[in-house]
Amino acid sequence: MRVLVTGGSGLVGRAIERVVKEGEGREGEEWIFLSSKDANLMSAEETRSVFQKHRPTHVIHLAAMVGGLFRNMRQNLDFWRNNVFINDNVLQTAHEFGVVKVVSCLSTCIFPDKTTYPIDETMIHNGPPHESNFGYAYAKRMIDVHNRACCQQYGRRYTAVIPTNVFGPHDNFNIEDGHVLPGLIHKTYMAKKEGKALQVWGSGRPLRQFIYSLDLARLFLWVLRDYDEVEPIILSVGEEDELSIKDAVNAVVEGMEFKGDVIYDTSKADGQFKKTASNAKLRKYLPDFKFTPFKAAMKETCDWFEANYDIARK
Amino acid sequence: MDGPMRVLVTGGSGLVGRAIEQVVKEGERREGEEWIFLSSKDANLMSAEETRSVFQKHRPTHVIHLAAMVGGLYKNMRQNLDFWRNNVFVNDNVLQTAHEFGVVKVVSCLSTCIFPDKTAYPIDETMIHNGPPHESNFGYAYAKRMIDVHNRSCFEKYGRRYTAVIPTNVFGPHDNFNIEDGHVLPGLIHKTYMAKKEGKALQVWGSGRPLRQFIYSLDLARLFLWVLRDYDEVEPIILSVGEEDELSIKDAANAVVEGMGFKGDVIYDTSKADGQFKKTASNAKLRKYLPDFKFTPFKAAMKETCDWFVANYDIARK
Repeated sequence: MRVLVTGGSGLVGRAIERVVKEGEGREGEEWIFLSSKDANLMSAEETRSVFQKHRPTHVIHLAAMVGGLFRNMRQNLDFWRNNVFINDNVLQTAHEFGVVKVVSCLSTCIFPDKTTYPIDETMIHNGPPHESNFGYAYAKRMIDVHNRACCQQYGRRYTAVIPTNVFGPHDNFNIEDGHVLPGLIHKTYMAKKEGKALQVWGSGRPLRQFIYSLDLARLFLWVLRDYDEVEPIILSVGEEDELSIKDAVNAVVEGMEFKGDVIYDTSKADGQFKKTASNAKLRKYLPDFKFTPFKAAMKETCDWFEANYDIARK
Repeated sequence: MDGPMRVLVTGGSGLVGRAIEQVVKEGERREGEEWIFLSSKDANLMSAEETRSVFQKHRPTHVIHLAAMVGGLYKNMRQNLDFWRNNVFVNDNVLQTAHEFGVVKVVSCLSTCIFPDKTAYPIDETMIHNGPPHESNFGYAYAKRMIDVHNRSCFEKYGRRYTAVIPTNVFGPHDNFNIEDGHVLPGLIHKTYMAKKEGKALQVWGSGRPLRQFIYSLDLARLFLWVLRDYDEVEPIILSVGEEDELSIKDAANAVVEGMGFKGDVIYDTSKADGQFKKTASNAKLRKYLPDFKFTPFKAAMKETCDWFVANYDIARK
């Protein structure tokens, strides 16, 4: 098996790299981790060149234009177009090069905004996504459309996973554009350094399920090797482990050993109130999979950020 | 926008494009307007470069975007991937290039076949994205839906008021009369022509029970001009006869038989797929804007179309 990982230098890519190195890689497997330096996947030509160079048998497709709530709200057109280009280039080129399996990466934020909870894998297309990131959401949904059409026309069994909120080392800790946990970690670091209060955007009330990147990475390997469906699979802790942003803030404060005040700026948008996802399908396949406890995963992430502040993406 | 309107029509050689060309020639063109009708010979719109070249050449102020990879039920069922990909390329190239060239307005063309399969009836403009489309043509359906996504996000980012229309089943001269790949009415017209010629029965695929609203291409063309000039919303608008004019495929087959003067037997092959049972669309929004618009009566429109096909058999696309 020769596995090409697009978006290899990102949060999830680095986690996969680490678990492969630390014992999850198998005899004879070759793993290649790409970053945007290796190829601009928005270009069909560059994508083809990189497939020609490496001739993978399998692909884990993580590369995307991503961002937190506030960036999405301003640039839906770019999130739509750029991600469609990347996804089409990777999926089409993979097919042309006879790649046996591609595992792409969706997100629970692409599900219908008006929906019942918990959401599950059959519900992805059942209504419009949240207004705040509809460009990104539709682009990701179309990966599933492409997979199904490719299976129908060519018999390819390309599939996708749907993680909930991922966090861990090597995240994008940019306060403006990053996701909620890395943004909080960075802001807490600055608040500590400057002796100021920690300002949290929004009310703290929205609910999220968080998955540690290293847990997600192990599950990605299982999907790559043993999950045979074309329909996507949600990779997440269970509903019982859903946390409020406020809970998450407290864990960051603890992990960073922050002693100052915490202020909630309720003039800032909250985004979707909840996105509770069912991991029943995962549990049907892997009833015994153990997730890293949230506080421990948060501590590891905070420690990593402090130790690697200079090189961290921010 | 200063100066006269220069309108680029993509897919200009197709069913709807030819109808627009005809109504523009026959009196609907306004003083100083310039109309350019493109076909695939002029540019392969799946190529960003060729799209850019043709915009550079003509510098339109307005675009009517009709070009697409289209086909009837059976072709869609075999090639969902191609219908998805090719149409996304065509649409992105036209919409993005239009924006870059400062085009004031683009009117694209969706279809009632892209609506959610499981839905309440009648369907209306607010319901496009409310659930998955019918399995048979999900590739085409999603590609068309994404035109609306592109329009909304382009409006959000740049303030462009690009929009789209949603016709029901269109028919008329210059259609694709290919029996394998065409839509139901031109397919029936061609099959009836052959049945007449060969002295055989007319074989209709499916049960004849599904229901459709049909719109004559010349009526659609007149409405396209109104949308281009006077409809300001980004949200699409359904262009169709009313719900009261919905017909079964059997009704349509009878109108074809009459229009073609066919005297032989008509047989329904129920082993063939029917497609969606109904797609009843509301034209309330259109009627709110144009309460007095008159559609050509179906039998008259069918007769004109049949006569055109018989007179132009050699050059008709089939």
